[in-house]
Amino acid sequence: MKITLNSSHNVYRRNKTILQTLHIDGWLLLGILLLLGASTLLVYSASGGEVEVVTRHLMRIGFAFALMLLFAQIPPNILYVFTPWLFGAGILMLIGVLLFGDIGKGAQRWLELGPIRFQPSELMKLVLPMTVAWLFAHSNFPPSYKRFGVGAALIALTAGLIVVQPDLGTSILIAMSGLFVLFFAGLPWKIIFGSILSVVASLPVVWHLMHDYQKQRVLTFLDPESDPLGSGYHIIQSKIAIGSGGIEGKGFMGSTQAHLEFLPESTTDFIFSVLSEEFGLVGVILLLAMYVFVIARGLYIASQAQDNFTRLIASSMMMTLFVYAFVNIGMVSGLLPVVGLPLPLISYGGSALVTLMISFGILMSIHTHKKMLAK
Amino acid sequence: MSERLDFNSDAEAFAEKKLFRNRLLFGFIFVVSLFGVLIGRMVYLQWFNFEHYHLLAEDNRISIETLPPTRGKIYDRNHVLLADNQPVFTLKFTREKIDDIAQTEAFIGELLPNLSEAQRQKFFEKLRRTGRSRSILLPYSLSEEEAAQFAVQSYQHPGLSLTARLKRVYPFGATAVHALGYVGRINSKELSQLDERDYRGTEIIGKLGIEKYYESRLHGEPGIQQVETNAKGRVLRKLENIPAIPGDDIQLTLDIQLQQYAESLFSEHKRGAIIAIDPKTGEVLAYVSMPVFDPNLFVDGIDQATYSALLNNPHRPMINRGINGQYPPGSTIKPFVALGAIENDYISPLKKIFDPGYFEYKNHRYRDWKRTGHGLVDMNDAIVQSCDTYFYELSLDMGIDAIHDALAPFGFGNVTAIDIPGESKGILPSQEWKKTTKGEPWYRGETIISSIGQGYNLTTPVQLAKATAILANGGKIIQPHLLKDAKLPAPQQIEIKDIQNWNRVVAAMHDVMHSPRGTARRHGQGLGFEMAGKTGTAQVFSLNEADYDADSIDKRLHDHSLFVGFGPIENPQIAVAVIVENGGSGSGTAAPMAVDVIKKYLELNTP
Repeated sequence: MKITLNSSHNVYRRNKTILQTLHIDGWLLLGILLLLGASTLLVYSASGGEVEVVTRHLMRIGFAFALMLLFAQIPPNILYVFTPWLFGAGILMLIGVLLFGDIGKGAQRWLELGPIRFQPSELMKLVLPMTVAWLFAHSNFPPSYKRFGVGAALIALTAGLIVVQPDLGTSILIAMSGLFVLFFAGLPWKIIFGSILSVVASLPVVWHLMHDYQKQRVLTFLDPESDPLGSGYHIIQSKIAIGSGGIEGKGFMGSTQAHLEFLPESTTDFIFSVLSEEFGLVGVILLLAMYVFVIARGLYIASQAQDNFTRLIASSMMMTLFVYAFVNIGMVSGLLPVVGLPLPLISYGGSALVTLMISFGILMSIHTHKKMLAK
Repeated sequence: MSERLDFNSDAEAFAEKKLFRNRLLFGFIFVVSLFGVLIGRMVYLQWFNFEHYHLLAEDNRISIETLPPTRGKIYDRNHVLLADNQPVFTLKFTREKIDDIAQTEAFIGELLPNLSEAQRQKFFEKLRRTGRSRSILLPYSLSEEEAAQFAVQSYQHPGLSLTARLKRVYPFGATAVHALGYVGRINSKELSQLDERDYRGTEIIGKLGIEKYYESRLHGEPGIQQVETNAKGRVLRKLENIPAIPGDDIQLTLDIQLQQYAESLFSEHKRGAIIAIDPKTGEVLAYVSMPVFDPNLFVDGIDQATYSALLNNPHRPMINRGINGQYPPGSTIKPFVALGAIENDYISPLKKIFDPGYFEYKNHRYRDWKRTGHGLVDMNDAIVQSCDTYFYELSLDMGIDAIHDALAPFGFGNVTAIDIPGESKGILPSQEWKKTTKGEPWYRGETIISSIGQGYNLTTPVQLAKATAILANGGKIIQPHLLKDAKLPAPQQIEIKDIQNWNRVVAAMHDVMHSPRGTARRHGQGLGFEMAGKTGTAQVFSLNEADYDADSIDKRLHDHSLFVGFGPIENPQIAVAVIVENGGSGSGTAAPMAVDVIKKYLELNTP
């Protein structure tokens, strides 16, 4: 690869703006700031106006923002070099979790390294698609079936290690992020449809292998009213919050479902319900428009990317963002099972936000470093 | 790897880029269409089903607390309070906040040693069945000391809170209990009959007497307090408030002083009734049924042992003798029979008959109470001396139906419609009555004993008092009532053929008290006013020919002692009927009690 810095005179030909200096994409930044602003308002409201919660939230945003800036400075070719090593480390940590992990909520997800306690699966959300992209970096699109097969094997390995934690939801979502890379690399349609059909056909087997609590979640999802005081309660209350918002909503701080504690996890997994209740259908459409804006910009960046590695990373990251948003909203509105997943960029909470902001950093890096990769 | 990049032709690169851009486009369409699905879902929830979810959210948020109305108070005719509501401390149990019911029960056992074990168990049984979001009140009034003790330890029991409520209190205790009745906890039968909306939040209902009869006036209407509650049921703020409409205070015609005095006339273990009526209006001045019991026992729910003791008491205190005690009227019926006879020309008031001490009919001797006989008696003598033979003979001339028709207008054998629920009718026999109830023809021998108020005749004390009042007021058919402003139909008048006949009967009753031969002459002396009266001694069962020996038979089988009377004779202000069960002779027991009641009333009402 002819990766050189000799085209730098192009960059310095005119005065660089601050954004350019910091390797930031202005449009993407605008979308992110809009979403994070909405997030701050909603966390404030959903927590019942607790300044302390909002302060912590803003500190996390600041930290994640710093990481985004940091990753925006790292040229993609460096990420490329580190990708296989990161993947190897990630797999080792997943094995470590299984052997030594902390047990929380009936599943081993956390690994303690000295004072740091983190989920290796969170790291894999980024690293798995990067690894598959790395695998395809120097292939023509579409790559050979052999390479697709290797990519699928890596995905299966990662998802397999997570599903035995057990964390079916995360495992599926991480697998999705890898599968999107296969898709964007040009996986033939017949294989895509064939796979979907075989997944559907294997559902009864999966059902048989599920843990009881997972089966219960599915059953509750299919008929939440069957257990209105137990596991169906969350969904019922969430639908009440959403539906009672109507078209215009009850107004900022007007969520009775959250403030009177009928809505569970109102600042985290169910924050969309608070948005729907307070800002109604109008607010929902605005939020989805912001997501579409960010995703569209991300896909545009992917389309302008100069090599396969960055193309695949950028596009799969955006699709992953979409899937997270879709699954969360589908879950709280009763379309999808309750999987315990935050709403990206909106929910209160640390690790998911950090992962997301790092991926935006990478996206910005892809877009702002490409002139250095001139052929 | 780098070779492969170099081999990429421009055409290949173009095709590759086209493939990728197609996939990007497809991805973007995928994103937008799935977001479209979400928006569709939101439109479904927020637009089409807004009303439904809006209601559910309001239902979550708003809970309705009922504000029970304050029960109306009850006063006597002089505005003395007879039934009051007093604030008492009790404990409110919020089921949701009680983790360990057994532990709480142990705590209550320690805190409230006066709460009987049976009551405690019953309450905790109820608590276990109570829904999580509900709270119930302990049916027990804490003393101030107990309340203070609880307050110290309350922090350990978040599910328990001290709360004040109004408790029905009868300050005169057992006095007039059969007139007032009492309130008690609503039972399931009552619950099924009443409108639940009116009784939300109310735990008591009138069970007997005035409390039951005027329940709808005393109860009032509950109010509504809308409150916003959180998911744990805690009230955060009050929304709408429709205050309760308290029940009406009601005033009774009873004079509690006269009532207490009349009750005091019954010596211990005496059973019976005294009904005193204002003959002009029908207002009941005293309503005594003895023995009595304390209505306060019932307000918070009576415990089984006390209740059983009351039920099994041989003197039957729970029986309301005033309306449900059905007694043979005995000789107290004579003035009414006599009036009927002379009004309808069955006999001349001046006609004398000879009484040898018995009356013979179909080889059967009907004895007079005086075995030696009264000799020649006219109507006046017959009433004054209570000559049975006179009436035996008269009755055969009249026949049972004429007697029935003469007595029926006075209300014998029918309810008086007094405002106490559950009144008995008594029996005023006639040929038709016997045919319909017993399916047998009437025998003339039965007429004979009916004429002196024996045989099938049964009257309630309130009936007897009503009849006496009608006699006193000159035939105005009053309706006995306890509510001062009772809405009554306009009183009817008994047809009077010759007012002199009425005067003669009243004069004879006057002589019962004041003539040297009157059966109650001992009690008519030195009263300071003149009155009318008639004694009665009713046989509880037929002694046949055997001598009446009061001491040799069980006291329960002694004669009932009766008396009816009114005074002052020129302007009757009070009419009284007295019955003392197994009290012996009317003149000996009932007469002095009646005289004392009349005297007391006139004293109380002399300015």
